[in-house]
Amino acid sequence: MSISIGDALPPFVIPSASPDAMKHWAVFLADPNPIHLDVEVVKAKGLGDKRINQGPMNVAFMMNMLMAAFPGCRIEAMDSRFLDNVYEGDHLTASGTVTAVDGNRVSCECKLDVAGRGTVNSGTATLII
Amino acid sequence: MDELPPAPAVAGTSLDGTKLFTISAEENAALCRSTGVEPAADGSAHPIYYYIATQVAMGKTVAGVCETCEFDVEDGPMMGSSGVRFNAPLMVGESYKVTGEILSLVRKLSRKLGVMDVLTYRLRLHPAAGGDALLETDNVWVLPRKELAA
Repeated sequence: MSISIGDALPPFVIPSASPDAMKHWAVFLADPNPIHLDVEVVKAKGLGDKRINQGPMNVAFMMNMLMAAFPGCRIEAMDSRFLDNVYEGDHLTASGTVTAVDGNRVSCECKLDVAGRGTVNSGTATLII
Repeated sequence: MDELPPAPAVAGTSLDGTKLFTISAEENAALCRSTGVEPAADGSAHPIYYYIATQVAMGKTVAGVCETCEFDVEDGPMMGSSGVRFNAPLMVGESYKVTGEILSLVRKLSRKLGVMDVLTYRLRLHPAAGGDALLETDNVWVLPRKELAA
């Protein structure tokens, strides 16, 4: 596999952020925060009118994109910035670009975009391929 | 503007965990599928377990960390960033324990959020039997201080 700086990685698409997944992640994270579970709480807090995805799930989407781009790779390091919320029903696209190649070590920029709203997570990652 | 009161002095607070975190095959599979992928065939867990395992098995709950910072979790802590360095992949069926500490709590004035405290804490995940950390993660949370709004 030939990898070059500037290569775009195949996008990983989540057609619709799922409230059912948020229920599961509340258990995985042992985090009962109702903004992930109850629309009425989200409204009461003035945060909108849809349930809000747990932030780590958004990082997982970017990881999935990286691992699909380089099958069998291992993530050595990753940094993620949380720029905005993902809401139930959002159409998400994780994408990335190669920024450095050093032997079997590949560095990438990555991001998660919401259709119509722009980038909600951005980050960098180093992979061992 | 008057000088802000200092943030609580919490740097150095231990977040060492007392319980083990085990990545079960069933939960890993459910987690992978909830994000649109199948679990790995080689026994490795989804790498996002770096965050889940350290949060669940650290020595304080998220609410407890907020309380240490004299912040009510109901006021809405926000994730700012998360970074991780892996020394090895996490494996399904393995058990892990957490060590860590609060690195800093810095009070700032934000044009968007007003007064806020920026919390940075570091967690490490070790094999349950002990030994070197398999990963180290630094998480940054923003704690908006509504009570200090001008």
